[in-house]
Amino acid sequence: MGILSALSRLPRPTRAVTVLTAAALALAGCGGSSLNQSGGGQSGGDVKVGLLLPLSGVYAPLGQEMRAGFQLYLDQHGGKLGGRTIKVVTADEGGGPQTGVPAGQKLVTQDQATVVVGVVNSATALGLRDFFDESKKLLVIANAGADAITGARKSDYIWRTSFSNGAVAATLGPEVAKEVKGKVYLIAPDYAAGKEMVAGFRKSFEAAGGEVAGEKFTPFGTTQDFQPYLSTIRGSGAKAVWSFYSGAEAVGFVKQYKEFGLAGKTPLYGPGFLTEGGVLDAQGRDAIKVKTSLHYSTELDNPRNKEFVAAYRAKVGKPPTVFSVQAYDAAAVLDKALAKASDTSAPELVKALNGIGPIDSPRGQWSFGADHNVRQQYYLREVKSSGGTFVNAITGELG
Amino acid sequence: MATYLVSMLNGLAMGSLLFAIALGLSLVFGMMDVLNLAHGAVYLVGAYVAVALVADGGGLAVFVLAVLAAAAAGAVLGGGLAALTRAIPHHLDQALLTLGVALTVAELLSVAFGNEVHSIAAPAAVAGSVTVAGETYPVYRLLVIGFGMVLAVAVYVLVERSQLGSVIRATVADRPMVSALGINTGRVLVGVFGAGAALAAVAGVLAGPILGAQPGLDERVLLLALVVVVIGGLGSVRGALLGALVIGQVQAVGAALVPEYASFLIFAAMALVLLLRPAGLLPAAGTAVRV
Repeated sequence: MGILSALSRLPRPTRAVTVLTAAALALAGCGGSSLNQSGGGQSGGDVKVGLLLPLSGVYAPLGQEMRAGFQLYLDQHGGKLGGRTIKVVTADEGGGPQTGVPAGQKLVTQDQATVVVGVVNSATALGLRDFFDESKKLLVIANAGADAITGARKSDYIWRTSFSNGAVAATLGPEVAKEVKGKVYLIAPDYAAGKEMVAGFRKSFEAAGGEVAGEKFTPFGTTQDFQPYLSTIRGSGAKAVWSFYSGAEAVGFVKQYKEFGLAGKTPLYGPGFLTEGGVLDAQGRDAIKVKTSLHYSTELDNPRNKEFVAAYRAKVGKPPTVFSVQAYDAAAVLDKALAKASDTSAPELVKALNGIGPIDSPRGQWSFGADHNVRQQYYLREVKSSGGTFVNAITGELG
Repeated sequence: MATYLVSMLNGLAMGSLLFAIALGLSLVFGMMDVLNLAHGAVYLVGAYVAVALVADGGGLAVFVLAVLAAAAAGAVLGGGLAALTRAIPHHLDQALLTLGVALTVAELLSVAFGNEVHSIAAPAAVAGSVTVAGETYPVYRLLVIGFGMVLAVAVYVLVERSQLGSVIRATVADRPMVSALGINTGRVLVGVFGAGAALAAVAGVLAGPILGAQPGLDERVLLLALVVVVIGGLGSVRGALLGALVIGQVQAVGAALVPEYASFLIFAAMALVLLLRPAGLLPAAGTAVRV
């Protein structure tokens, strides 16, 4: 109450300004906090799978897509994985580790989940790493891309069905070096994933003989106006731009790239998150001709993918995204591991995962490497218009 | 040099939008002494009105319709907020109440429209680009600057030169005295609250083609508006205009000059103003002497 009484003694105009300032600072401090929610309930099935996905906050659309992908696999297999009935418990990862880490721990300690699947945010994944490693519980990461998760901080109990930031960016380097005659400008948001993406791309790009015109990191999550950066890019004389953005920033960047007249003159490249799913819907025709690297596109021409896209559309009413596939594959991985393991203890499951072999996925065949990360084919994609909507057409395979 | 010129132009466009947003917040706080934290949510309502009506572009007529619909929705929301906050004298209680309204409105919007990022197309007629100082610049943003100028003049004439304006200014300065003169200050307050909220909602539509619509945008916009009000001074039209222009320029030119510090430059500007002129650069005449 000290602050309040001190406040009430101030002269009125000063008090008003103080309140305003306090409100402004409080707002600046709190990003997207969120409330927890969970399925709970007692077990009626054989194996309990904890889904740790963002149901609120900026990543909520990804959480919905991942949940739909996981659920689709379950539905296609009669609610069973590896012959065992699955009970799904969901917890809200929220917008960051402050909500995601406790939610993940709760799935294991309170809900007694045998395995936890999901995790969108890399900071949450790294924050949960020690907990899962020390309590010897299995965590299957279906998105978070930080290199360290399967690198410096790898664990026997943590496996990843998605990608690593460095790899998804690096795979485009030689292609851009080959296609672009001249220097390339790199731009990404100023946070861990942005730095890893840029480092990964820059390394493979320069190794292939590419030249960098400049590199810029923009404030993460608060940049709405890219005009100053776009002007700098134009001034640098770069012949092409490589950029990593996702979500709202990807929409803003690609639309303004067009508005400020760079599109059409200076080709735009980037990791596939620049033009994936709902982001591409919002960008619309402004994204045409953007070229990206990713391990999935709805346009992949293989029977497994065609069947998957049709089933997903029928269930959800929207085309799937790379995030749906990553969660779908996490279910496929568990299906195989549970079928192989003699019991559902984490050490047995890990043993089974080690000999799991290739996974036949909508994205093509992939397998786990010794570091528990995916070894997969990356594709070169280009945004094209197709019957009124916009899609990431596959134009090649990347090495 | 041309680069900075375009950045300044861009700062003007952002400043115009910020002026439209912050004006209501400033007048309501200066006049009713209500800290309306639901102001950002009102802005977001406007943005989603645009999503619902304009979505994939369309003619100028549809866009104007969206502006009018947003103004109506904003006015209704503002009137409701005025009624809600009237009985509560304390800043903290008002802040909590309006914050609750803001959270509820934002959640309802995300239930209705989903959590995806929505973009709003500029009307087809003005969706192109022109060359300014050797650089490509979107026509729509030039129109936003024009709107800001017209709004500034119109509000100035209304508040500083008309009889209604003198009642409004007098209410900001000394409410009991105005009601002692036989003027229904309650009606003035509700009117200003509604008009301010309508303006914020209109800004939501106009900013649509630049900022789009998504959950969380309300908080960012409210934050900027609060900074504008702190810098400009409470309850003053000229203060809100100056504050909006300053923040627009600090953001745009700051990002061009020192991109590393762009994210907190506006707070540095706010801190500087608080140090040198704690009441803001141009506070309303009455509030400066009132204790």
